[in-house]
Amino acid sequence: MKNVSILSLALLMVFSLVFAGTVMAQDEVTLTLWDIRTAADQATPAVKDAIKRFEADNPNVNIEHVPTQNDNYKTKLRTAMSADNAPDLFMTWGSASLERYVDAGKVYSLQPHMTEDWRNNFMPAAMDLGIVDSEVYGVPVTNVSPALVWYREDLFEKHGLEVPATYEELVNVVNVFKENGITPFALANKNKWPGSMYFMYLVDRIGGPDALQKAISREGAFNDQPFIEAGRRIQELVKMGAFPRGVNGLDENASQSRTLLYTDRAAMYLMGSWAYSGFKNEAPDMVDQFNFFNFPEIKSGEGDPSNLVGTPGDNYYSVSTKAENKEAAVEFLHYLTDSKMGEELIAIGNIPPFRGVGEKIEDPIMKKIYNTSQKANHIQLWYDQTLPLELAQVHLNTTQALFGLEMTPEEAANKMEAAAKKYYGE
Amino acid sequence: MINKLKQLVIYLFLLIWLVITGYPLVFLVQNSFKIRMEFFRNPVWSLPESFTLQNYIDVMESGFYIYFINSIIVCFISVAIIIIVSALASYAISRIDFKFNKLVYILFLAGMMIPIHSTLIPIYKITLSMGLYDKLSALIGPYVAFSLPISVFILTGFINDIPYELEEAAIIDGASRFRIFKDIILPLVKPAIATVAIYNLTLLWNQFAYALVLTSSPSKRILTLGLFEFQGQHGINIPLTLTALFLSVLPLIILYVFLQEHIIKGMTAGALKG
Amino acid sequence: MNKKELMNNKYFIAALFLLPAVLFSLVYLIIPIPLSAYYSFFKWDGIGAMKFLGLENWAELLNDPIFWSSMANNFKLVAISLVVQIPIALFLAVLLTRKIKGADFFKTIYFVPMLLSSIAVAFLWRYMYDPTFGLINGVLNLVGLEQLTRSWLGNPDIAFYSVAAPIQWRFIPLYMIIFMAGISNIPEQLYEAAEIDGASNLQSFFFVTLPMLRSTVVNASVLIIVGSLKYFAMIFALTGGGPNHASELMATYLYSKSFTEMNMGYGSTISVALFLVALIVSVVFLRFSKKDVRN
Repeated sequence: MKNVSILSLALLMVFSLVFAGTVMAQDEVTLTLWDIRTAADQATPAVKDAIKRFEADNPNVNIEHVPTQNDNYKTKLRTAMSADNAPDLFMTWGSASLERYVDAGKVYSLQPHMTEDWRNNFMPAAMDLGIVDSEVYGVPVTNVSPALVWYREDLFEKHGLEVPATYEELVNVVNVFKENGITPFALANKNKWPGSMYFMYLVDRIGGPDALQKAISREGAFNDQPFIEAGRRIQELVKMGAFPRGVNGLDENASQSRTLLYTDRAAMYLMGSWAYSGFKNEAPDMVDQFNFFNFPEIKSGEGDPSNLVGTPGDNYYSVSTKAENKEAAVEFLHYLTDSKMGEELIAIGNIPPFRGVGEKIEDPIMKKIYNTSQKANHIQLWYDQTLPLELAQVHLNTTQALFGLEMTPEEAANKMEAAAKKYYGE
Repeated sequence: MINKLKQLVIYLFLLIWLVITGYPLVFLVQNSFKIRMEFFRNPVWSLPESFTLQNYIDVMESGFYIYFINSIIVCFISVAIIIIVSALASYAISRIDFKFNKLVYILFLAGMMIPIHSTLIPIYKITLSMGLYDKLSALIGPYVAFSLPISVFILTGFINDIPYELEEAAIIDGASRFRIFKDIILPLVKPAIATVAIYNLTLLWNQFAYALVLTSSPSKRILTLGLFEFQGQHGINIPLTLTALFLSVLPLIILYVFLQEHIIKGMTAGALKG
Repeated sequence: MNKKELMNNKYFIAALFLLPAVLFSLVYLIIPIPLSAYYSFFKWDGIGAMKFLGLENWAELLNDPIFWSSMANNFKLVAISLVVQIPIALFLAVLLTRKIKGADFFKTIYFVPMLLSSIAVAFLWRYMYDPTFGLINGVLNLVGLEQLTRSWLGNPDIAFYSVAAPIQWRFIPLYMIIFMAGISNIPEQLYEAAEIDGASNLQSFFFVTLPMLRSTVVNASVLIIVGSLKYFAMIFALTGGGPNHASELMATYLYSKSFTEMNMGYGSTISVALFLVALIVSVVFLRFSKKDVRN
């Protein structure tokens, strides 16, 4: 018996040691910031510097920065939100991902703080995704990133190919590479969103931006002709051998796509503009060989070839309604979006969603990305961020099945429409 | 001659299995010396050309050792508690006839079936209400609770196999239950406790869902979360990640070598005669 | 009742012994299950308001082909794991408990797959399976078996088996250790007696080792069954349940419903179903091998 009591005493001591919390000085304010800026993220140094500058100017405020890797971040944030324990500052991808938290009353409206100066600081298209019910809830911070067709200039030259302007020319390029034993497109589609880029561009080129808008507003449907035709063309490309073998088993996060580009096994890569900084980090000696073109036009289609698919801001930072010191939190958002931040993002290889950054960009490829975005008639946000989560997942799953030839274009489109009918309660 | 041949076949098999199980370590080590570009250019199976130590330096500078110490604290305290708590419970289930033995046993068994991810939100709320959120101790509760059913299962099975006669003499002498437990049962179940310790330690060391949601500040981070530090939104520094993975498994291997010694001793000590 | 009497009361003593375990289980294991059951009657994204649905989630579950195919995959995993892990682990345990030079070294390295985190293991196998650069296709090409090269993780017909393989590889060491502990507890005299009777190695394995290990094997089987029914980690890392749900398990499906699609109500329905299925299967299994578990 004695032993047991000694044991429990020891246990108790261990517990109280571990359980003891930290005591904080009274007038100090700590703001907790959750985002995805891990050591491997390209925008991390810029955000860290903004924190440093803010803390230097506000000595009584500490920012506790908690970076979490992308997929884990979503689980972490959703769990915390579910228990109503949101951090003071957090990050979303704007649009649907922000709206859900706004609807649940978790996000503090930035509208009262939106001076004309601050508002004019942002590119309007980027700002739009941070607005819910005509109030600003999140400010865009990191990157204007459209999806572009990256390609190896040297491989095109070697096989006497020109940059394709139309889908027919693209088919020709695919055939030439295929004949020469080169996989035309590097693609890793385990993650589903990389393949979705082809679908989104094809829908746009065939039906124009209206196709999706109408399907969402329920004037149209997700099994309208542009969606079916996009599925058909994806499968046509798959059957021609435009993509690597077993494309749905390859992992984009593990760079199984880009490895094919670096080893001369693939020639093209439809990917967001962030791919460029990937090339710089992973293959610095061949970065000169990379260039990009817009997704080709479909002659019979309605989409303008200047239209882009992508995100105008990427990451949006918000203040939670739970934050005790909202003034300080909003003040910090100013540091995250000031001109110094803009310069640092440019230096890293991002295009900040702020006005007047064009002149500051020197890198020719980045300048080209910036100009392409400016010239775009319409920028379609990724479907998986435009659509409510319930539909976004159906879109991603059916598109992956299209690449695997496991569903016909009609089946995929009908499945999507059925899910939409259920979601919109028709 | 036939014996020699048999030996040869056995060793051949042992060597093949050695390659199959040991290769991952070689894989981790050989790629940890590569720079990022080389990793992408050459097959992952090739030997490194550069032999850079930069990855090791980067990992060590990333706060890795804080995460490491946190992992050690949490896992070892948890395993210690698991052993004590599950041994006590198993003894009661196996040896004290309190009528509901079977029911209690089945309930513990049922605990094994609970999928971790369906408990994340409830446990998050419980942790908040106990004021443990963002403390290392927040992890100990779920770690112990989730390891208990299997530990009770293993230990009960083992205690059931111990012949009752060993305790009879002590009971006649009027020894208390706690004494019997401590002096007779515990020494006999050492090998099973070693199994329980190793099993739970390896699982908890690699556990990560609870740490993801129940802690927040970087100073409370554990190793498995730290491994994701080298993964961004659109890319991952693979050689760096592999280096971190190698460094995180190393202490476990060293520990295992020592523990193994201990298990073998424990096994012979606890070997049943008859 | 004075103190002495209390300490002699077996109910009180049993309660004392069980108390710590019950406390931990109550807080962290028992509370979540009724909560999940409760959520399963609602439409809830985990954040906003909850809307009562009655049995709608359950009706949907019964008509959800993906749920049924994921459950079928779980049972396939149980079968594969029982057939692969137990014999190999037994074989290794028997080899390593014989007097073999370097047995300690082998034992240590053989345990490596169990020590590595699933993240590390998934990395390795991802590159093993890579259709272009992978070791498996590379070796097949080298020995002239090009026709056997596959897209191991991309082909829905074989993706499930491709992810089942590393799971076997990872857990064999655990059962090897458990069996080794069991074998070293078998009295030496039994083997000596068998030897005097002129039994061969194989015979003494079947007539001494195996019967003596029966309860260990039963226990190991329960661990395998439960482990396979709620398995998650490596499948999630390697295929995420894809392509097109081909390698989906109940636990990965529950995760993507609850956290990726934020359909906490339906996710909870799956988790309660998983719990019930696993419980029923293990109780049935234990019933069949009852006499070995309690003497």
